[in-house]
Amino acid sequence: MSTTAAFTAVLYREAKVRATNLTFLFWDLFHPLAYLLLFGVGINAALGLRLPLPGLDYHAFFLAGVLSMASFGIAANTAWSFFLDRDNGIFYEMLTYPMRRAEYLAAKVLFNLGVAVAQAAITVGFAWGLLGVRPRLVGVPLLVAALVVGTAGWFYFYAIFALRIRRNDVFNTVTSVFYFLFLFASSMFYPLEPLPAAFRAVALANPITWQTDVLRYATVGLGELRTVVLELLALLAFTGASFWCAVRSLQREG
Amino acid sequence: MSEYALEVEGLVKEYRRRDPPLLRAVDGLSFRVHRGCLFGLLGPNGAGKTTTLKILTTLLRPTAGRAAVLGYDVLHQPLEVRRRIAVVLQETAVDLFLSVRDNLLSYARFHGLDRYEARRRTARVLEQFHLLEVASHKAMDLSGGLRRRVQVAKVFLVDTPVVFLDEFSTGMDPLLKREVMDRLRKEAARGRTVVLTTQILSEAEELCDDILILHRGRSVARGDLNTLKLLSKDVYELSLTFAVLPAGIREELEQLAPVRLAIRNNSVEIALRAEESRVLELARALARRAQLLHLEVRGASLEDIFIELTRSAGGPPPEAPSV
Repeated sequence: MSTTAAFTAVLYREAKVRATNLTFLFWDLFHPLAYLLLFGVGINAALGLRLPLPGLDYHAFFLAGVLSMASFGIAANTAWSFFLDRDNGIFYEMLTYPMRRAEYLAAKVLFNLGVAVAQAAITVGFAWGLLGVRPRLVGVPLLVAALVVGTAGWFYFYAIFALRIRRNDVFNTVTSVFYFLFLFASSMFYPLEPLPAAFRAVALANPITWQTDVLRYATVGLGELRTVVLELLALLAFTGASFWCAVRSLQREG
Repeated sequence: MSEYALEVEGLVKEYRRRDPPLLRAVDGLSFRVHRGCLFGLLGPNGAGKTTTLKILTTLLRPTAGRAAVLGYDVLHQPLEVRRRIAVVLQETAVDLFLSVRDNLLSYARFHGLDRYEARRRTARVLEQFHLLEVASHKAMDLSGGLRRRVQVAKVFLVDTPVVFLDEFSTGMDPLLKREVMDRLRKEAARGRTVVLTTQILSEAEELCDDILILHRGRSVARGDLNTLKLLSKDVYELSLTFAVLPAGIREELEQLAPVRLAIRNNSVEIALRAEESRVLELARALARRAQLLHLEVRGASLEDIFIELTRSAGGPPPEAPSV
């Protein structure tokens, strides 16, 4: 079986699972948009945050946050399906199929990237149409880069835990803690400047912050280019380290 | 290309655990299996059957030794090995979120079949395994037995030269089990090598033309059923059914240190190592104790051989295997 055939088989399976389960489609494609329309609009109307750029409202600020949330959420969902696959044995059976471990992981990432890009297109499209948030066209390549690197990074990061944790309750606890910690201790929902110093230090060390800041620069031009480049490099390093650990974990499986 | 389907030399697999600190699941195992053979790996729980199978299917790395499938080293050429095998694992492995049909189609795609061929074979296997009625049902909605059926059906979609089945009949109804066993025989007749692990001795007795008995990760006997029977040629099996079970018969028979003793209702099955004349004498003596409805003296069954061999290999006797 060639690499192309292995990729096709993994993509076929992933697409079949998604296409025949409507709830997965919602979580993969529309969840961040729902967040933007409910939470974003609510906060914007109720609190009316003062943001550093004139004319920038909370919708526009939060758009990058929901795109990061998309990357993170897709990875979390995939990790959960990884865990479930392992729990019911199909994961181990798949490891006996005629493909390399790296091909398997790479094809799964490729599928996730496709979903992330589709999800981002839907979210940005609706944000533009419904909320008047007009993303910068010049930032599109950076947006795609941040989505791709971030989604791959979070996928590999979560895969490490999905492959190592054996118990369902432990896995659920870990993912819940991650969700809480990574999302709220970051620049996803609010600017970091007004935060207490310790909180801000934790948020600055959080890869979600790096990804969100890059996406925010790409979508609405908020931030400094020098900082954004550094954050993108840090995100790349995080993805590389997570990939290395995920492959090690997968090799331990067989 | 190697003339052997499987070649295993000095295979060792150790697990590092807290308690006990080191578990040697496979302990210097060596064997070879010819192509087109129905090969059974037999042993009690913890004998090392599944570990051996996991090494051969590239799921586990051996601690030491060498294993090859059709001449391809499992450690250094895992992809070549995977291209030539189909595996039914002990765990029920199905894609829960896919329908039965999509489970089969997905498996076929993973094994390189094109769309047309995948659909053609899926239709055939759905019919062969009586899965047409549930073809559109998601696997998560199926009973454990049906999930197992889907899992086993998958290996009949592809033509890989070697098939591994780890306790394949778990949860399978007797009629289907028989059908699968017939199909496995046909696959072996076509030249496929079938490797199965089992604790169900009647399964191995009926299906396998080459059997390896494992105990504590080591080989304790090898051969076809007749060869194994020769290994315990002085073991006989006595089967009696009384009108009324004589009082105290269990205690009496236990004093003979039998290989196996089973008393159910009015029936007694005893296997013991003794000369034939002595066994016949015992049968006559028992017949005098109460009215006998049935009496049969046979050579050792695989179950007797198994218990005898694993017991003589040392350690406590294995858990009672299923028959």
